[in-house]
Amino acid sequence: MKDQAKPIIKFEGVTKSYGSGETVFALNGVDLDVAQGERVAVMGPSGSGKSTLLNLVCGLDTPTSGSVIFDGTDLADLSDDDRTRLRRQKIGMIFQTFNLLPTLSGVENVGLPLRLNGVRAGEAEKRARAMLERVGLTDLVENRPDEMSGGERQRVAIARALIFDPPILLADEPTGNLDSHTGDEILRLMDDLHNDLNTTILLVTHNEAAAAHCERQITLLDGEIVGDESTSIK
Amino acid sequence: MTLVLAQITRRQWREHKLRVALTILGVALGVAVFFAIRTTNTTLVDSLHSTIEKLAGKATLQVVAGEAGFTQDHLKTIRATPGVELSEPVTETTATAVSLGNEKLLVLGLDTASDLKIYSDMFDDGGFVVKNPLAFTSRADSIAVSRKFANRFGLKDGDKVNLQTQTGTQDFTIRGFFNSVGVSEVFDGSVAVMDIFAAQDAFGKGNRIDRIDVMNASTVTVDDLQKRLAAQLQSGIRVEKPELRGQSLENSISSMHYALTIMSFLAFIICAFLIFNSFSISLNQRWKEIGVLRSLGVERANVKLMFLAEAVVVGVAGSVIGVVVGYFLARGALRVVLDVTSTVYGFNSSPRALEFNYVFAVEALLVGIAVSLIAAWLPARAAARLDPIAALHNVETQKRESIGGNARIVIGVAFVILGLALTRFSTPAFDGKIQLFYAMFIQVGMILLVPTMIRIGARAIRPVMKMVFGAEGQIAVETLVKTPRRTSSTVGALMVGLAFVLSNGALIYSQKAALSRSLDKAINCDIQVASSQQLQSSAYHFSQATAERVILLPGIDIADVIRVGSIDYGGDTISVLAHDMNAYFAISPDLLDTGDPQTARDMTSRGEGILVSNNFALRWNLKVGDRVTLDTPGGPLELPVVGMLDYFRSEKGTIFLDTSIYRKYWNDTDADYIFINLKPGVDKSVFKRQVFDTLSGNRNAFVYTHEEFKQWVSRLIDQFFSLMYLQMAVAVFVASLGLMNTMIISVDERKRELGIFRAVGGLRRQVVKMVLLEAVAISLIGLAAGTISGVLNAYFLVNTAAKVVAGFTLRFYFPVSIVFAAIPMVIVIAIFSAWLPAIRAARLNVVEAIGCE
Repeated sequence: MKDQAKPIIKFEGVTKSYGSGETVFALNGVDLDVAQGERVAVMGPSGSGKSTLLNLVCGLDTPTSGSVIFDGTDLADLSDDDRTRLRRQKIGMIFQTFNLLPTLSGVENVGLPLRLNGVRAGEAEKRARAMLERVGLTDLVENRPDEMSGGERQRVAIARALIFDPPILLADEPTGNLDSHTGDEILRLMDDLHNDLNTTILLVTHNEAAAAHCERQITLLDGEIVGDESTSIK
Repeated sequence: MTLVLAQITRRQWREHKLRVALTILGVALGVAVFFAIRTTNTTLVDSLHSTIEKLAGKATLQVVAGEAGFTQDHLKTIRATPGVELSEPVTETTATAVSLGNEKLLVLGLDTASDLKIYSDMFDDGGFVVKNPLAFTSRADSIAVSRKFANRFGLKDGDKVNLQTQTGTQDFTIRGFFNSVGVSEVFDGSVAVMDIFAAQDAFGKGNRIDRIDVMNASTVTVDDLQKRLAAQLQSGIRVEKPELRGQSLENSISSMHYALTIMSFLAFIICAFLIFNSFSISLNQRWKEIGVLRSLGVERANVKLMFLAEAVVVGVAGSVIGVVVGYFLARGALRVVLDVTSTVYGFNSSPRALEFNYVFAVEALLVGIAVSLIAAWLPARAAARLDPIAALHNVETQKRESIGGNARIVIGVAFVILGLALTRFSTPAFDGKIQLFYAMFIQVGMILLVPTMIRIGARAIRPVMKMVFGAEGQIAVETLVKTPRRTSSTVGALMVGLAFVLSNGALIYSQKAALSRSLDKAINCDIQVASSQQLQSSAYHFSQATAERVILLPGIDIADVIRVGSIDYGGDTISVLAHDMNAYFAISPDLLDTGDPQTARDMTSRGEGILVSNNFALRWNLKVGDRVTLDTPGGPLELPVVGMLDYFRSEKGTIFLDTSIYRKYWNDTDADYIFINLKPGVDKSVFKRQVFDTLSGNRNAFVYTHEEFKQWVSRLIDQFFSLMYLQMAVAVFVASLGLMNTMIISVDERKRELGIFRAVGGLRRQVVKMVLLEAVAISLIGLAAGTISGVLNAYFLVNTAAKVVAGFTLRFYFPVSIVFAAIPMVIVIAIFSAWLPAIRAARLNVVEAIGCE
């Protein structure tokens, strides 16, 4: 852990279960601390609880028991609106399936969180363009997602995730839908952003090579952490 | 494979019950309106025919001469004509039975001394029971009533019935009963028989009769006898087959039928939008499912079939419900149209029990299915053409919706221009049904232009939405612009519904404005005394003596006694108004639209010319100076047209001539109206009381000031259009249903999109606000499109439905106030329709929505 004194994410005995009859545990008694600026790869087979862990961090989901503490605040103490605002301003999220709004152009997608926060459209567009430039996308920004390649879409998704300069970036299989070359570009972009902004990154991946971009790798199996290793970056 | 696809479709329905229910409801409403209008129209026409045929008894021919009737002298001529087996003179009066709660009673005056074989159904086999036949014939207060009527009111032999007569109320004594069959079946048995002389006297008919019923001998055909009689009788007296009289009445109410038919088609257009919308959304909901099916080897044709089969099921279910609802709707509508035909057209008919017409039901079912199939065709085709790879991919792979570009705009504009040009240059020579196509061209053009109007509307509305509602307002507008297919079908449905409401509003408004203008010009008297509250009434008139008593009252400056008659002209029944033309011009100096007022006044008052209404002139292409020949009961009357004016009494036209001519040719001295201008300083309300005192006992005298008369006419128009108001409400309801459907489905369709919106920081209330604002924006654009379409449709209605069909030249007024009044209404409907979907959207499980399969 990079900064033991100040974890930005803290899981205390977090359990997430489903079903009323035979209960299925997506996460089972997970304890986890992630420090500011740390890059953590979350690995494990399908169904091990990786995505659930991310959903709990960003407040999209709530634990069945235990606490998820974000930057010193227990998410359970926040209302849905407060969790939403926290997500908007402090957590950037990128997904395997990009999750861009198909009706909006690239620049509009990136500016969306700003506009939701009351930023004027002109200002939002200016900042969105700047962020897109920062992620290496200057062309095609007026195009809609269906007119972009997978790599371009993921760059737009990353730009959107970073538009508020959030302290943490959650990435759920960000290279899963990309060819290896494009996937590598995206991972290098995330490295650059981390280096520039000291962004905490939680990267869910199946991919060993992707995980190698992180100093710390935790492994989940059947909802429990079965491995937590720190390595040097290749 | 069919079974598997059917199973998949069933599962879809189970998942999306609301969408399916709303779609079926849409079809049901369209079919209900269609079935109700068709059933009402037919029942009304059947009622008219059946009433006339029953009233004719066994008569194969009827001799008639319009409103004023004719003298009994002609009876001799008819009876002397070879081939006439039986002939009976008849007077017909719809009297008010004051002592029986103002029940309307058809009083037939018959020659009770004859054997009345023509009406043998009523009187044969002991059917006509009179205890003292001599007393019945010899005493003028004798009356016989149908057994059904007697039973309904518990009337016995010797009971008194108090009837409104020409000279006030009068007691009549029941001295006979007859079977409730044949003639007496009409008006639900509310039929009475009096001796013809007593009836003539009581109802002020002098020696005139309304008709002579004739039965031909077996040695001569009806056609031959008709020719023989026509040759024997002077022009102006017509010999008609009873069934053709029904046809003539049917023609007279053609404009009402026409208006109702337009409504039923519009109901289907709105319904088609609803179905199209629903199936488009269904396609979007099943995007991935179709991809899977295609990748598993389901052929394009089967995918298409799956959608079309769904349309058939929806069509059948909706149509069945629609037919049932339509039947009950028709029952209510029939009462309204019977009132309208009685008050406005003056035809009383027995309200026939509404029969469930199986042919119409099957027809409605087929039309419902056909509309469902047509509306589902494009979404079905799009489903079949779906690229399976794209469909299996994620949400971002959805292609930008494209619904045509410049070609669509050009075709749309061309259709609108074509429809407008045809409307502008059409003549009455074209059949009304052909002219329906003009409206269809305009509407099709407008529908093609909907996406363009959405783009323009959104551009206009975006800054306002942004300024007032911030980012959510702007995003809402952007969303609707970027999903033109979904938005178009909703805006289209709203456009058609609102265009219907606004154009009919414009027609009613224009009609009222034109009538108001006409009343100010042509009926501009201080006081008007009327003998009836019906526009056309054969029941009550003022006798010459009564009219003279009124016009001799002190305080009168000028008085004009008017008789309203009718005459056949070129196959139409037109109104004839007999005025004291000198007095009429003095009361209404601004009467004419065309013609020199002084010349017209001089010529008409000398009986050397006539005035005609503009609709009559338009119908027969007449100019001032043209000569018109009228076949009057007193022989042909040829006079020049010396002036023209707007007048709306008859859809077929009105002729104005001097009383002296009328009395000479029609041998009729009764009066229906008296126009009075008072001397300066005479109080109108005091004078009204004097008129009532003079006419005391006559409950059928109505005295109006000019303003009161205008209000009465306005109420009459509202009554005439009452069905249209109902249809307008249905149109708005169906359009709202469309909006609700769209919003519910839109939320469903955009589950993932809304999930992403929430995932990147959209608050629940922002989602609610966005969905509501999208609905508001769609409805405002729909209102704008509906206003444009409404103006164009109103132009069609004013030029075709009013001018060409009814012959009324209306000045076009568009009720801008209705548009402004519609803004809050539309916003409320939008918010109401979108409220539930908005709440559902806000409660979306974000994790499920984002990962939704």
